[in-house]
Amino acid sequence: MRNLYFILLSIMASLVLFMLFSFSFRNLYTKKIKLEAPIEIILKSTEGETMDFWDVVKLGIAEAKKEFGISVNISGPRFEKEINRQISIMNRIIEEEPSLIVLAASDYQKLSGSVTKAHNNRIPVIALDSDVNSDFPVSFVGTNNIIAGQKAGNEMKLLISDSVRKDIAIVSHIKETTTAIDREKGVRTALGNNKIIGTWFCDVEEDKAYSIALNLLENENLGGIIALNEVATLGVARAIEEKNAKDRVIIVGFDNAIRELTYLEEGIIKATVVQRPYNMGYLAVKTAVEFLSGKKVESNIDTGSILITKENMFKREYQELIFPFSN
Amino acid sequence: MKRNIVFGTLESRIYIIFTVMLFSTIFILQLVFFRFVTTTIKNSTIDNNRTLLKQLVSQIDSYISEVEKLSLTIAEDIQIQNYLENENDPKSSYDLEYKLYNYKQARTDISNILVYSNKGKFLLGEPDAKLNPWTDIENSKWYRDAIDKNGNAVISTSYVQNIIVDSYSWVVSLSREIYSSNTGESLGVVLVDLKFNKIDELCRSLILGEKAYSFIIDSMGNYIYHPTQQLLNSNLRSEPITELLELNDANNNGYYFFSDKYYLIETSVFTNWSIVGATHNSDIITDWKNVQLIYTVIGLLLFLIVGPATKRISSGITQPVRKLQAIMKTVENGEFNLIGKIKATEEIQKLAYDYDIMVGKIRELIETSVKDQEQKRKSDLIALQAQINPHFLYNTLDSIIWMGEMGQNKKVVKMTSALSKLFRISISKGNEIVKIRDEIAHVQSYLTIQEMRYQDKFNFLIDIDPELNEYHIIKITLQPLIENAIYHGIKECSNKGFIKITSKFENDIISISVADNGSGMSDDQVENLCKGLESNSDEYPAFSKQGIGLSNVHQRIQLYFGIEYGLSIKSSPGFGTTVTVTIPALTQDGLK
Repeated sequence: MRNLYFILLSIMASLVLFMLFSFSFRNLYTKKIKLEAPIEIILKSTEGETMDFWDVVKLGIAEAKKEFGISVNISGPRFEKEINRQISIMNRIIEEEPSLIVLAASDYQKLSGSVTKAHNNRIPVIALDSDVNSDFPVSFVGTNNIIAGQKAGNEMKLLISDSVRKDIAIVSHIKETTTAIDREKGVRTALGNNKIIGTWFCDVEEDKAYSIALNLLENENLGGIIALNEVATLGVARAIEEKNAKDRVIIVGFDNAIRELTYLEEGIIKATVVQRPYNMGYLAVKTAVEFLSGKKVESNIDTGSILITKENMFKREYQELIFPFSN
Repeated sequence: MKRNIVFGTLESRIYIIFTVMLFSTIFILQLVFFRFVTTTIKNSTIDNNRTLLKQLVSQIDSYISEVEKLSLTIAEDIQIQNYLENENDPKSSYDLEYKLYNYKQARTDISNILVYSNKGKFLLGEPDAKLNPWTDIENSKWYRDAIDKNGNAVISTSYVQNIIVDSYSWVVSLSREIYSSNTGESLGVVLVDLKFNKIDELCRSLILGEKAYSFIIDSMGNYIYHPTQQLLNSNLRSEPITELLELNDANNNGYYFFSDKYYLIETSVFTNWSIVGATHNSDIITDWKNVQLIYTVIGLLLFLIVGPATKRISSGITQPVRKLQAIMKTVENGEFNLIGKIKATEEIQKLAYDYDIMVGKIRELIETSVKDQEQKRKSDLIALQAQINPHFLYNTLDSIIWMGEMGQNKKVVKMTSALSKLFRISISKGNEIVKIRDEIAHVQSYLTIQEMRYQDKFNFLIDIDPELNEYHIIKITLQPLIENAIYHGIKECSNKGFIKITSKFENDIISISVADNGSGMSDDQVENLCKGLESNSDEYPAFSKQGIGLSNVHQRIQLYFGIEYGLSIKSSPGFGTTVTVTIPALTQDGLK
C-alpha cells in the first residue's frame, strides 16, 4: 500500500517535471498539428502543360505541406470538363474520412451535392479557386474574380478611350461557372457606360473562341474584346493575329500561358489579368491547418490578381508569377 | 505495516526534507544537462551547417568562374572578333554560331550564348532559334552593365530571359564586353546565360534539415534566388534582410535567430552574392522528442529509485525508535520487557542498552520489594504466634491454678497481673512498632511469669538506660531472645541461671543485649546459627527450632530498619550466650 503511495508521488513529480520541460520547449511544437487523417485536395484537372495553373497550385500546396508538416493528398480528374469524374472522386474520398477536403469545383451546381454529403459526414470543406453552390464550405480560397474582372475592365476602359471604335465584346468560357459570372460582373461594373455588345461563350474550346472572334471582327465598330480565361484569350488572340487586327481591336485577357505572353510581347494582347495559383495552393492548405487547429478562418480569402502589360511583364517582382519555374 | 506517513513525525520530516532536496537537485541537474546538451548540439549543428554552406559557396564560385573563363575564351576568339570587325560579313554566320553551339552543348547548365555587336550583328548559340524582335537588347541590363564594366565580367541577378522567340527561361547572365585584340576598340558584348535551374538545384542540394532552406541575396539585399519567392512577393513571408546584411558585414561567423530559425550567411567573393542558410529550430535536434523522452525516463527512474530509497532512509532512522517506543509503552501496563539486541545505529543501540539496564534495575527492585513484603507478613505472623503462644499461656495458667491450689494467693495475683500486662502490651493496638519502654515492660512481665514458673531456677536483671525509653523498637523483639535463653541456655543447666538485659546507646544506634550464663555454644554452633539468621526459614529446614525465633527477629529488624541492623551472637560453651539487638535510635518523628 505504502509503496504504491510513493510510486504515485514519484510519477506525479515526474509528470510535473515533464510538463515543465515541455513548457520550456513548447514553442517548438506550436506550428505542428497532428492530424489523424490526411487533408485531401481535389483539383479540377491533374494533366496539362508543364507549369500550368494547377502545377503551380501544387507547388504552393507542397510548400505549405512542408511548412506545417502535415500529410496532404492531391487528386482530381484528368481534364477539367470531367465533372462527373470529379464528383465520383469526391464521393470516394468522403468514404476515406479525411480530416478536411479542399475542393476546386469544376461545376458550381453539380458539386454541391457532394459537398453536402461531406458535411453530413462531418468532413469540413474548403473551396479552392472556384466556389460551389453550397453554404457548407468553411472558406473560399481563390481569386476574387469580381475584382479581377474590374481590373480587366478598367484597363479596357483606359485603352479604348483612345480608340475610335467603341464596341466591346466579352468572350467568356462556361456559362454556369462562378469564375465566368464574377469576372463578367467585374468587367461590366468597371466599364460602366461603355458599350458592351454582348457576351459569347466558348465552352473552354480555343477553336470556338477563335471562330467567335472571327465573327465579331465583321463588326466594323468593334474596338475591344475581353476574354475571360486562358483558352478564350488564346482563341481570340489567334483570330486577331491572323486578321492582323491588333491595331484595330484591343484584347484584354486572363491568365498567363506562354503563348499569351508571346502575344503580349507582340502587342496582340494588350493586357492580361494574372491570378496567383502558388498563393492559392499555399493559402488553401494554410487555411485548412488553421481551421483544423481550431482557429477562426475568413469565409473568403482573396489570393489576389495582377494586371500584366507589356511594360511590366519583365518586372522582377512579377517574374515568378508570370514565368513559374519548374524544378 | 499499513501505516501512512503521519505529519509531524520525525519520519515525515526526514522524508519531506529528503524528497524536496533530492527532487529539486535532480530537477536542477536535469535542466542544466538538458540545456547543456541542447546547446552543444545546437552549436555543433550550426557549425556543421556553416561548413556545408561554405561548400555551397565555393561550388557556386567555381561554377561561375568556369563560365567566366568560357566568356573570356569567346571574347578573345580571333575568328569571332574578325567576324564582328569585318563589316562585309553577313549579319549572321552559321559556322561561328555552330562553334558557340558546341560550347553550349559541352555543358548542361548553359541556357544560351549570344554575341551581339553594337552594329546589329549577332551570333546565337542556338542556330535554329530566332532572336525575339520585341526585345531591345541594347537596352537590356546585362548589355549596358557589360559596357559599363569595360571588359570585366558582369553577373546579373536571376531573371526571365526573352531574347529568343517563344522562350522564356530563368537565367543568371554573365556578360562581358568584347574588345578587338587588334585595335582595342569595343566590338560588342558576349552573353552567357546560365540555367537558373542549376543554381536552384545547388541551393536545394544544401539540406540543413527537414524544414531548412537556403536563398541567395546580392549585396544590396535583393533576392537572387528564394525557394518561396512568390510568398515573399505577396508578403505572406518575409526574411530579415537588413539584419542579415548587418550580420554579413560583421563577418564574425555568427548566426541570426529569427522566428524559430537560425540564419547563417556566407558571401561569395566572386559573385558578391550572399548565400543564406535558414535552419529551423526543430531541425537542430531532429529527434528532439527522443531527447525529451530520454530525459523524462531518466527522471522517472531516478524518482522511482529515490522515492522508495528516501522512504527507506527515513524509516531506517525512525523504525528502531518506533520499536523502542512500542516496547517502552508496555511499561504502562506494568510489563518490564527488555529490548535486547536490535538492528539500529550505534546511538539507538546504546539507548536501548541503557534502557535495558534501567528496566532490569527496576525489575529487581520490584521483585525485592515484593519479596520483602511477603517476608514481613510472614515474620509478623510468626511474631504474633510467638506472643500468643498457646503453650505458654497454657503453662502459665496451669501454674496459676497450681499456685491457687497451694493457696499462694500473693503469687497468683502477681502472675496474673504480669500475664495481663503481658497481653495488654503485646496487643498494643496492633502497631508493629512500640516504644522501648513498653517492650521492656513486656519483657519484665514475661520474665516475671517465667521466673515464677521455673521456681527461681533463674534470676534476671533488666538494666536499660531510661534515656532509651522513648525510642522505638519492633514489638516482640526481645521476648524470643529471652525465651531462647531460658529454654536453650538455662533450662538445661544445673546451676541457677541468670539473665541480664543491658543496653548501650552509641552514635544513634541502640544495642540491647540479652545475656545468659547457660550452657553456651561451640563456635561451630554459633557460626551455624549466624548463617541461619540470614536465611529464610523455608530455605533452611535443617535449622533448629531454636534458630527460627532468632532468625525471625533478625529478619524483621532488617526489613524494618535495614540490613545493617539485626542480631549478633556471642557464645562460648559453659560460659553462656549473649544475643545483641542493634537498631537505629528512632523517635516517633523518625518513623514513617
